[in-house]
Amino acid sequence: MRTSLFLALQSVQHSATSPASPEARAIAHLFWWLLAVGATIWLLVTAIAIWSAFARRGTPGEDGLMHVSAATHSGMERVVIAATAVTAVILMGFLVFDFSVGRALAAFPAQSLTVDVTGHQWWWEVNYEDPNPSLSVKTANEIHVPVGEPVQFKLASHDVIHSFWVPNMNGKRDLIPGYRSSIWFRADTPGVYRGQCAEFCGLQHAHMAFLVVAQTRPEFTKWLLQQRTGGAVPTDSLAVAGQQVFLSGTCALCHTIAGTPAHGTVGPDLTHLASRRELAAGTAPNTRGYLGGWIVNPQSMKPGTLMPANPLQPGQLQALVAYLETLK
Amino acid sequence: MSALPTVVFGSRSLMWWGTLGFMTIEGWSIALLLVTYFYLRQNFVDYPPLRTPLPSLLIPTINLVILLASFIPARMVQRAAVRLDTRAVKLWLLPFSLLSLSALVLRWWELWALNVRWDTNAYGSAAWVLVGFHASLLLLDVGDTIGLTTFFWTRPLPPKALPDASDNSFYWYFTVGIWIPIYLILYVGPRIF
Amino acid sequence: MSAGETPRDRALVPAADAPLPARATLSDDVLAAEHERLNALWSDGSGFWAWLTTVDHKSIAKRYIVTAFLMFLAGGLEAGAMRLQLSHPQAGLLGPDRYNQIFTTHGTTMMFLFAVPMMTAMGLYFVPLLVGARNVAFPRLNAFGYWCYLVGVVFLYVSLPLNMGPDAGWFAYVPLSGPEFSPGHRVDVWAQLVTFTEIAGLVAAVNIIATTFKLRAPGMSLNRLPVFVWTELVVSFMIVFALPAVALGSTFMLGMDRTVSTQFFNPAEGGDALLWQHIFWFFGHPEVYIIFLPGMGMITEIVEAFARRKVFGYTAIVLANITTGFFAFGLWVHHMFATPIPELGQSLFTAASMVIAIPTGVQIFCWIATLWAGRPRFTTALLFVMGFFFTFINGGVTGVMLASVAFDKQVHDTFFVVAHLHYVLLGGAVTPLFGAFYFWFPKVTGRMLSERLGKWHFWLFIIGVNVTFFPMHLLGLNGMPRRVYTYLRETGWGPLNAIASAGAVIIVAAVAVFLVNVFISYRRGEIAGNNPWNSYGLEWVTASPPPNYTFMYPVVVRSRHPLWETSVELPVLTGLSTERREVLVTTTMDARPDHRHNAPTASIWPLALAICMAVLWIGSIFSPYMVLWGLLISAPVLIMWSRQSMNIKSTELVQPPAGPIVEMVQA
Repeated sequence: MRTSLFLALQSVQHSATSPASPEARAIAHLFWWLLAVGATIWLLVTAIAIWSAFARRGTPGEDGLMHVSAATHSGMERVVIAATAVTAVILMGFLVFDFSVGRALAAFPAQSLTVDVTGHQWWWEVNYEDPNPSLSVKTANEIHVPVGEPVQFKLASHDVIHSFWVPNMNGKRDLIPGYRSSIWFRADTPGVYRGQCAEFCGLQHAHMAFLVVAQTRPEFTKWLLQQRTGGAVPTDSLAVAGQQVFLSGTCALCHTIAGTPAHGTVGPDLTHLASRRELAAGTAPNTRGYLGGWIVNPQSMKPGTLMPANPLQPGQLQALVAYLETLK
Repeated sequence: MSALPTVVFGSRSLMWWGTLGFMTIEGWSIALLLVTYFYLRQNFVDYPPLRTPLPSLLIPTINLVILLASFIPARMVQRAAVRLDTRAVKLWLLPFSLLSLSALVLRWWELWALNVRWDTNAYGSAAWVLVGFHASLLLLDVGDTIGLTTFFWTRPLPPKALPDASDNSFYWYFTVGIWIPIYLILYVGPRIF
Repeated sequence: MSAGETPRDRALVPAADAPLPARATLSDDVLAAEHERLNALWSDGSGFWAWLTTVDHKSIAKRYIVTAFLMFLAGGLEAGAMRLQLSHPQAGLLGPDRYNQIFTTHGTTMMFLFAVPMMTAMGLYFVPLLVGARNVAFPRLNAFGYWCYLVGVVFLYVSLPLNMGPDAGWFAYVPLSGPEFSPGHRVDVWAQLVTFTEIAGLVAAVNIIATTFKLRAPGMSLNRLPVFVWTELVVSFMIVFALPAVALGSTFMLGMDRTVSTQFFNPAEGGDALLWQHIFWFFGHPEVYIIFLPGMGMITEIVEAFARRKVFGYTAIVLANITTGFFAFGLWVHHMFATPIPELGQSLFTAASMVIAIPTGVQIFCWIATLWAGRPRFTTALLFVMGFFFTFINGGVTGVMLASVAFDKQVHDTFFVVAHLHYVLLGGAVTPLFGAFYFWFPKVTGRMLSERLGKWHFWLFIIGVNVTFFPMHLLGLNGMPRRVYTYLRETGWGPLNAIASAGAVIIVAAVAVFLVNVFISYRRGEIAGNNPWNSYGLEWVTASPPPNYTFMYPVVVRSRHPLWETSVELPVLTGLSTERREVLVTTTMDARPDHRHNAPTASIWPLALAICMAVLWIGSIFSPYMVLWGLLISAPVLIMWSRQSMNIKSTELVQPPAGPIVEMVQA
């Protein structure tokens, strides 16, 4: 089921030309105009250049060189000046258009929601802060937003420069250590949208994607409430055994599962791992097979990732995966 | 055309243009380093930062005086060269070498007079690289001057040696001149701003 | 009048319309004897030692051009490896570590080791020829520059197979390239090689400026300067102001952060990650115009020659080049639109980035006008100019699109930018460069390149470039970021990537055809003669290839197109010594003869100093104390270099008897 969801992403073109927010729509609108005028200029000037090369208007003079009459020469001057003036006017137009779009995008509306995003090599830490600390939500690599409401993202980096980019929603914003930056957008169509890190950040820059899930307000609230709960307590014996594997092994050194002694912060929060659609920042769908493979040998799927290999007995692995699958 | 001279001074000579080119490159580099120094300042409330002492003024000011004083023999060398007076050039090159060498030696203490290490904070790094980069210019120019002095005293010289002496003074004016804003910004500035 | 000038000096060069004093035409016997004497005088010898010590700008520039072209091929191989890896999803040919080294090396090679050195090398060969000089102003410095460049080349290409190739991108953003996230020496290799190539570039720039200002043929006032020389002059000034930024940033700031723990880029100690970007792009943006402006100059030369008429709007073109050179320094923040720099500041750079299109547009309109008013002869060189229009204008248009902050924030750091940059660099620099090769190969080697193979080369190249890079616009819009070693099939980027990779094969074929053309024509091409194209510049006065001394006598220039003015006889000045190497130095503005300068002979010291610099800069990666050792071994080399220049035999301040001032020579 997860795999098909993964494939379903293909149906949503994660493209700047498939806007799902007013912001992306404004940029796409600007783009289409730039493209139309630009392509026309490109083809027109090239065509004129080629045509001119065949026009052969000069006549040979005594010196063997080509000349045109003084009148023609003045005519040429006027044409060149006019062409330059037209170029300048078109550029002015673009400038004004760009400024107006830019101003509109820069104005942060009163937002209903603020999400803190921290970039790590090579995953996204996502925090829904709340004035009441016990209500804040920590997750990773998957961001849920309510449709129709502006959401602000406060961006920071834990290590190197990353860049937060969801083409369907808005332009990108860099996450720079030592700087705070922010970006906002308002999804206007429900759906699952893909984002990817857009600043070279090392070995696994290619596998640092994330998902933005835009849901109706009631669905979003339901998701948020679920995320606020502690980690599910396993009842099934296999899952209980799996929890033991998790807690007694090295997992807890890096990962947190709320409600258990595991409080590591080096890697993503796993409290609601099973509610996420993808693994390892968009590297693979979140299915049993991929999850098991990732735990045992992350380097095979994402060479250079900071998560070490975990050689487990098959029985242990089965139990662990069963436990993790309960963490909805 | 064989009536044309073979020895010229100032902007008529190729060497002058080469010297000017390198002065521009190095002067611009120092401008960029000064911009860096001010850019980093916005990351600090105080500059030098709190708990970093102000640079001391004693040795830098002594060195500044030595550098300014060295203008005199440098200028004398240049004027003697232009009037083709080899003997005067030889004589004035001696105090020129002495003063410029002293300035280079004192430069070592000027670095430590910054009262901060290069690895303590970004301010220390910027200050050290500024003074250090200028030190490399000093080193080259002092080497050039001493070399020139040695040539003038130890061998019969071709006519081109005189424009070389003139250009060497030209370069020295730049080396000293570009130090003045650095001195003011790094050593005096923190006491005013 | 300036110091030392006599009224007689002023009288030496006639204005364009003044009648020439009647003089005798020099006989063939006299010319042959002069040739023998001068050729021997200006020869730097033969054999391996001569190769190491030559100060002849033609030899040095030729090896620069060959080395830079080898770098183009190396960068192309790296690109080929990348395209192979990206041709389908999760191809598995290259792991992330290898891929990161390869894309970094590709960018570094193309930008630092191919593009700028090639453009300065074309200047080092052709500027003296175009202005009528026998050599550049500082021949031994020229040699030193080449050796420094070669050190950079060798350093990079020894490090890559040793798994020490830089892997943080050609732009090496901190903190990724800093000590914490790039341990080891890979980025140090990058930092130091950048410094070597910057030294070479700066040295070439100073040489070109001094040559252009002081060594022009008598009568070649600035308004008679060929456009290619103008572009090299503008670019040399740009180099003087742009390259120090990256040399300082890479060695003194990043290098020192990595080796001696300075804190320039460490936010914890007040350092700043954006400082690096400002310094790098302050260099980086002018860098691309440094690469592209000489291409514009080459186009003017080719268009003039093959349209068979004077270029339309010479003054406008010259001013456009100068303006572009200035504006190029005001654009750099457009590489940083996604960073938290204040919006208002960013808008200024949008405006500047759009305005710079205007002078470029002026040049394009003038060339079109020239073609229209001429009767173009479609040689391969001119074909490449037509190819330039198609390819470069596309890149220029996407550049204007990228100048818009709002749109840029969508496609910044995606394959859209990869498409743009390759269109402008391949279209605006490499295409004109190929055209210039077809135009000037006869002068350098004495033989013509095959026009038939040239046309194959042209079509394969234009088609290949467009098939490779056009799909990348779409990939960027569809979400594909840059610098990724692979991608998932689910993203849907596979088909367009496959097309792009197929295009790369076509480019390889094009370059292969060119190489075959060069190898065949070098040995068996049609003999060129002095002026195969019947063009107008001073470079066509000399034999092909030029003799050691290039110009037997300084040519008296009376217009901007000396060889179109007279095809039979050229006025020259006689009187330069045949006993020692002499060049004529003229005044800066009007090029009136000023004095005779004794040019240097061959020397080993430039190579020796470059080796000492190598020890110093490369050694400093491993230990800061190597700086001291490097200085210690450099000192005696510098002393020997100075000694050699002081050991000039001639001691004359005495003027030999005045001979005839103006002679006429068969053109």
